[in-house]
Amino acid sequence: MNLSPSIIIEYLPALMRGLRMTLLLSAICITTGLVLGFVVSLMRSGTSKILYACSTVFVEFFRGTPVLIQLFWMFFCLPVILHIDIGAFLSATIALSLYMTAQASEAFRAALLSIGSEQKDAVMALGLPRSTTLLHVILPQALIRAIPNLLSISVSLFKESALVSTLGMTDLMFEGETISSATARPLEVLTTVGAIYFAVGFPLTQIVALVEKRILRRIAL
Amino acid sequence: MSDYHFDFFYVVHGFARLMQGLVISLELTATAIGIGTFSGFILALATSSPNRLLSVPTRLFVETFRCTPALIQIVWFFYCFPMLANVFWSPFTMGAIALTLNLTAFNSEAYRAAIQSVPSAHRDASVALGLSKWTQALHVVFPQALRFASPVLVSNAIGLFQQSSLVAVVSVEDLMYQGKILAVETYRPIEAFTTVAVIYFALSFPISQLAARVERHYARLLA
Repeated sequence: MNLSPSIIIEYLPALMRGLRMTLLLSAICITTGLVLGFVVSLMRSGTSKILYACSTVFVEFFRGTPVLIQLFWMFFCLPVILHIDIGAFLSATIALSLYMTAQASEAFRAALLSIGSEQKDAVMALGLPRSTTLLHVILPQALIRAIPNLLSISVSLFKESALVSTLGMTDLMFEGETISSATARPLEVLTTVGAIYFAVGFPLTQIVALVEKRILRRIAL
Repeated sequence: MSDYHFDFFYVVHGFARLMQGLVISLELTATAIGIGTFSGFILALATSSPNRLLSVPTRLFVETFRCTPALIQIVWFFYCFPMLANVFWSPFTMGAIALTLNLTAFNSEAYRAAIQSVPSAHRDASVALGLSKWTQALHVVFPQALRFASPVLVSNAIGLFQQSSLVAVVSVEDLMYQGKILAVETYRPIEAFTTVAVIYFALSFPISQLAARVERHYARLLA
């Protein structure tokens, strides 16, 4: 078997374009998912039964089905229902953002549950209004406890974003598959694609592990 | 909502086909879980071995599978493994290998943490009893590590069932694949994809609930 490494150099700019798309999509979906995830976690831990039921069904459904079917559903079914053509980018963004929302909300919920009830008593004793409680007492503590989980969910989302290639979005995975079938050099091209994902994903997981260790030490104090 | 008319006739008609797909999905999942539960433990022992010749390559293996998308792993095995090894196995086999290796890598991380929580007194006891290294690993460490790691192992297994849908991309005729064919052939994407999603959900959700309940039960027992 003869390898031709020159093919990688030739197509590297195309792969980098794909990587940029992957990173852009991941960044948008992670940001949206984090914000919505916090809101959903508040809905799930609030007192309203209706909000609790709706948010629980939403979270369980997005956690209980494959991301691939979520993407397909948003791509093929949403336009039919809404009567508008939203295109691959928007449907992929919606699907991955909602998936991220469901995952992040679970991380936030676990963090909210870990805040001791004496904090709530203290807030009540101090007579703090609800908005102050939420923004200055609950949010900072929930956030710091949820950070390790949220980071590892974000890394997973970066990996899951490869699925958007099945909708024809020109991300790293799509560029890789297209080049590999056009050049009939899957070994070189697909291995390079894997290596690029690894080169981004591995440092991120190392950072997650580091942050986790630091935060655990801080909470223990 | 719009004036869309739901028509489940074709989905009902094609239900047998979806069930055939589901069998393939479950076979893939069962293979990966059956092997991955044990091989993950062996791999965890290897990654924490003091012998660097053993620990460095195995760590590299684990990190490779953890830090790349499952999709590229499956596509890579489908296209590249046959070229490298000069073998031509069915897409199902290739999918099963990729998914099993993926689960093995993730399970080994769960076991690594669990092995550390086996009390060191048990090791001392094994040494005092003169147990061989293998007996100690299989009969003292493994059963306890399995129990400590079980919450993560179960959630990995549920995750794998969902990831198994990716083999549809390399035309393994699993549930996802059959759903896609049904949607395209009947021009009924909403009915077909929603049904497929509901089937995946109907299997994942009860298992995750049951696992959470069992976990809480044990947490109370230990406390």
